Amino acid sequence: MLTIENVTKSFGGLSAVCGVSLQLGKTPITGLVGPNGSGKTTLFHMITGFYSVDKGRVFLEDREITNLKPHLISRMGLLRTFQHTRVLPFLSTLENLIAAAPLQRGESLVQLFLRPGAVRKDERKNAQKAREVLDTIKLQPLAGELAGRLSYGQQRLLELGRILMADPRVIMLDEPTAGINPSLVRDLVRVIRGLTGVGIQVFLIEHNMPLVMELCDRVLVMDAGGLIFEGSPHEAVKDKAVIEAYLGKARDASKS
Amino acid sequence: MDYLYHILVIALIYVIFASSLNLELGYAGLYNFGHVAFFAIGAYTSALLSLAGFSPAASMAIAVLCSAASGALLAVPALRLSGDYFGIATLAFGELARLFALNERWLTKGPMGLPGIPRPLGIEAGISGIPVYFFFTVTITAAVLLILRKTTMSPFGRALKVVREDEFVARAFGKNVFSLKVRAVAMGSLFAGLAGALYAHFVTYISPYDFSLNETILVLLCVVLGGKGTLSGPVLGAFVIILFQELLRFLPIPTDWGRFVSPIQGMIYGAVLVILMLKRPEGIIPEHRT
Amino acid sequence: MSGYYLQLMTNGIIAGAVYALFAVGLTLVYGVFRFINFAHGELIAWGAYLTLAFSALIPFGAAIFPAVALTVLIALTQERYVYAPLRKKTGITLLIASIGLSYFLRNGLRLLWGSDLQSFGFEAARGLVFFGITVSRTQIAMFLAAVIFLGFVWGLLRFTMLGKGLRAAADSLELAEIVGIDMKKIRRAVWIISAVFAASGGILIAIDTNLEPMMGIANLLKAFAAVLLGGAGNVWGALLGGLFIGIAENLGVAFFSPGYKDAISFALIIAILLFKPTGIFAIMKGMR
Repeated sequence: MLTIENVTKSFGGLSAVCGVSLQLGKTPITGLVGPNGSGKTTLFHMITGFYSVDKGRVFLEDREITNLKPHLISRMGLLRTFQHTRVLPFLSTLENLIAAAPLQRGESLVQLFLRPGAVRKDERKNAQKAREVLDTIKLQPLAGELAGRLSYGQQRLLELGRILMADPRVIMLDEPTAGINPSLVRDLVRVIRGLTGVGIQVFLIEHNMPLVMELCDRVLVMDAGGLIFEGSPHEAVKDKAVIEAYLGKARDASKS
Repeated sequence: MDYLYHILVIALIYVIFASSLNLELGYAGLYNFGHVAFFAIGAYTSALLSLAGFSPAASMAIAVLCSAASGALLAVPALRLSGDYFGIATLAFGELARLFALNERWLTKGPMGLPGIPRPLGIEAGISGIPVYFFFTVTITAAVLLILRKTTMSPFGRALKVVREDEFVARAFGKNVFSLKVRAVAMGSLFAGLAGALYAHFVTYISPYDFSLNETILVLLCVVLGGKGTLSGPVLGAFVIILFQELLRFLPIPTDWGRFVSPIQGMIYGAVLVILMLKRPEGIIPEHRT
Repeated sequence: MSGYYLQLMTNGIIAGAVYALFAVGLTLVYGVFRFINFAHGELIAWGAYLTLAFSALIPFGAAIFPAVALTVLIALTQERYVYAPLRKKTGITLLIASIGLSYFLRNGLRLLWGSDLQSFGFEAARGLVFFGITVSRTQIAMFLAAVIFLGFVWGLLRFTMLGKGLRAAADSLELAEIVGIDMKKIRRAVWIISAVFAASGGILIAIDTNLEPMMGIANLLKAFAAVLLGGAGNVWGALLGGLFIGIAENLGVAFFSPGYKDAISFALIIAILLFKPTGIFAIMKGMR
């Protein structure tokens, strides 16, 4: 479903991502792992349009999305979270969800003033959907709470909820469980599993290896901007190149 | 009594002017320090057209469209700049607009200004027409506020706030940030132009000196003091500032000391801005419950 | 005809030298504090007006010192009570506060000295003539003063511990703090230098022309254009930028209406921000 061909990006003289090719869609949940600085988040930004691609191409289904603006890519059903939580702190939990609904009629001034009835109907539909999503992520009691007041883990759940609002086909999550207590991790995992049930592809960056083993059917390993392994998580932990990449980093870290 | 109407009209014009800036600054997070340029474009366009023979009402309508168009035109290049720099660039633009009005005498009559601007809808010139103009302005202001209310309490308004708070999230959820910002500026410029046109036909004489940094600071103060990001904030701010300004004239100050009024006023405005930023940047009417 | 342009160039370089003073001060503030100080212009104006006030009591030459000292005090007070407390907030809050402060100071000026043009009252001395170009004594003084001040800053940055600290801070505020550079001292030094430059430049301009309340903000915008030309935070760039603005303004009047003289700076600001925000004269990153 998501195809990346030989993408490369450099900053100044530094190569961040070098000739990475991959294809998602073979399994529902794919993990992207690798030591810090291996280019995982950069790759995410390149796929979702937040960074430009120096070389290479990106395809969603059969449509090329290389260097398209992020909002257009999002409208095509490719949604993502960021490394740190980015809920809108001064909107309520429910409002955060409604705001994420795609293609809202009322965002067009023409529609707003010329077809107010249709706009109202659209709003009601989105509000209803938001309440359903709130159900799914089990944050109903916090519906009216300002999102800034939620705990970090609850905010991460809310971010997943926002993605649900946007009718995703492919979801890219950047370290969704980092810094979250185990019980909320369970809730996150449940929601993510639920997504694949309706045919959504999940691509996630994670450092939590046991979680990757449990959740991902297939894992990609990056190191120093390149892809060094592709296969099942169990094979990954036995692969020489992968071990060398992580050990190498540990060695460097202990040296300095 | 007539003088009360006069003050109220000015206050209402500033309600529209401040509300228009609030749409850009308070809702979209765009610090447009050149906003007074569109107030001026509205005023000058309407004045020149009506002095050339068009009916004042038609002139005002055209002036409003011109301001909106100029706003959109300025927005397209300017929105490439980030917050601080957008503020500086728009400020520079505002000053350029004033210099243009001062120097292009063939068009604007330069420093001499444009006297004798006719009133719309057959309202009489001079003091006798003021009460009627007041009712005219009240109607327009009410309409503007209703339109702004609908605009801000809508998905569009919500999208603007998302853009203001976090552009990355806005983009990640399919919002065309650029388009939203341009529309906010276009609408803000539209209403600024309307305020300017109302001003021109009210005072019936305008000159480049009416559209300087002082007006920029005044309208900024209205928004920031009243409470940015709310509907009623700029309304409150405009009334407080304008009433303060006008009532100062009523204080029994001996003529010897009359020349101190303006600078002291200015010092108060500057001090209020600083103190607001230090103590209560959200203004009197806060946008968020805490 | 070329003598005419040479004269304009000369006027431009001399005016540009003073603009360079303002620009260097402004860029130092931006480099270390990372914000655009609108109230900087008022330091220029207050320096001149305070000199006017003191010169009524003591000879002009002596009056300069307390005037500059008081201006420095104004700058340090701004920092202590407004800018330091706001440092943690968003950039826009600082910008608005500095706009408010500038308005406050400008009107304070009008309150104390009125809005009319004032003058130091020196007679227009006869200029000296070199190769067909006329240069007044004042202009020579302006140029020399600018050169001396700028040379001082160059020496400071190059050879002293403080200068090295300033350069480090301009490069990276966080790193400078971590490395243990005394940020309080650096901050104070920056305000003092920029205030001294601003006040002195203001006095020089007032000697050459006259004093009026808007002189602060008028020169601020020129200084800001110069800062942008040179790349914000770049001292040499600001210097070249100041010279460029001076020359551009003075040569420019040969081509269009003098009423648009100020417009050059505004147009430059817009053009640079849109097309080359890192500056045209940015020689090397940071202060050198």
